[in-house]
Amino acid sequence: MSAARTTRARRAQALAQFAALCCLCSLALATEIPLYATGPSQDAAFVRFVNAQETVLEISASGSKARTRLEVAQPASPFYSVNANAKLRGRLQAGDQKGDIALAVKPGEFATVVAMPGAGTIRQTILREQPDDFNALKVSLALYNVDPQCGAAGLHVVGRNTTLFEGVGAGTLQRRAMNPVSISVQLRCNGQPAAATLALGALQAGQRYSVFVVPAAGSPRLFLAADSVSR
Amino acid sequence: MPASTLAGLALLVIGESHLSQANYLINPLHESLSAAGAKVHAIGACGAGAGDWLKTITVPCGGERSSGAAVIKGRDATTTPIKQLIAADKPDLVVIIIGDTMASYDKEAFPRAWAWQGVTSLAKEVGATKTPCVWVGPPWGQPGGKYQKNDPRVELMSGFLASNVAPCSYVDSLKFSKPGQWETLDGQHFTLAGYKAWSQAITKALGESPALQALKKP
Repeated sequence: MSAARTTRARRAQALAQFAALCCLCSLALATEIPLYATGPSQDAAFVRFVNAQETVLEISASGSKARTRLEVAQPASPFYSVNANAKLRGRLQAGDQKGDIALAVKPGEFATVVAMPGAGTIRQTILREQPDDFNALKVSLALYNVDPQCGAAGLHVVGRNTTLFEGVGAGTLQRRAMNPVSISVQLRCNGQPAAATLALGALQAGQRYSVFVVPAAGSPRLFLAADSVSR
Repeated sequence: MPASTLAGLALLVIGESHLSQANYLINPLHESLSAAGAKVHAIGACGAGAGDWLKTITVPCGGERSSGAAVIKGRDATTTPIKQLIAADKPDLVVIIIGDTMASYDKEAFPRAWAWQGVTSLAKEVGATKTPCVWVGPPWGQPGGKYQKNDPRVELMSGFLASNVAPCSYVDSLKFSKPGQWETLDGQHFTLAGYKAWSQAITKALGESPALQALKKP
């Protein structure tokens, strides 16, 4: 074999090796991405507290310094993110009345702890929802009824022949989607108009809201809470 | 392709692993958008969901390309809060390419509440800056692979995003190909041919998006 032919053969071999190396590099580049999770091991879970009393409510968590205070005029906390299925413990206090918090929230669940006056202790009603109606183009409005005196609660739009909710039993809730509007609502209990009306203001698309029906002297009390999530 | 719609616009593109490797989406998309006249800053963070762009977290890999060549990062890659990126870049349009990292392909249940929290938080954060935004959803992959991507879940994820990314407008990548049409390396990440096809489709869709049309009105 001539020297020139040997050189050409070596060059060809080197080129082939380089091409193979490039191919390997390319494969390595294509497959080197580390495996990562495409979501959490379980869905998020949330809890909020609502003060349905006519005095300030203080809430403290066991095992931490976390505490919050709910005024009568701002009766609902935001939803707090919690570990799903974990046992949550804490204490409620309103004046001389106290109550223990003990609940677990399932993955995907939004739990609401409503504190009401009881006989010597704070009475609690826990309502839970697992929404599947998330929609940034619509308003999401719920009616939470925690007043046993208002057996089948409903909301009627003031000035319009429109019913938003009906037949919401005490200790239950209903939720619906609606267009962003500015409305006032009238409470109905067992199909009859109750004294309470409430201006909901301009409801915003993509926002979630809850109207609460809570016990009060004389007739049930209504208030609106934005279902915000604490960051 | 209405190149003139994108011409002269500054785009901030953030996304997941698709934007994190040189032979993935980051380069062909940058080139496609640049060819349409846009000034592009693209950042990818492997495994980062929407909520991870509200803070700084470390991710297993990432990529970034601005005016020069793409810089590919390993375990030193991080996310950057979107408000910080917008304040620095002052983009005309934010493009978010996130979906696969939030679909929980390997889990039986779709984490709807978690996804809602992350997606709406990011969309609202961008909206609060008054910067128009477009959210590009996940494309069809090939069933299986190490991420267990599958057609029913990617369809669910895309539908969820379409309903929840406002005030961003939504680009449905499922319309760009048929299921399994673009070849993948692992069920989720495409070969360069797939990424080139996705890039061209995204560029065309951005040029026609309502967010951009509104931006171009006198």
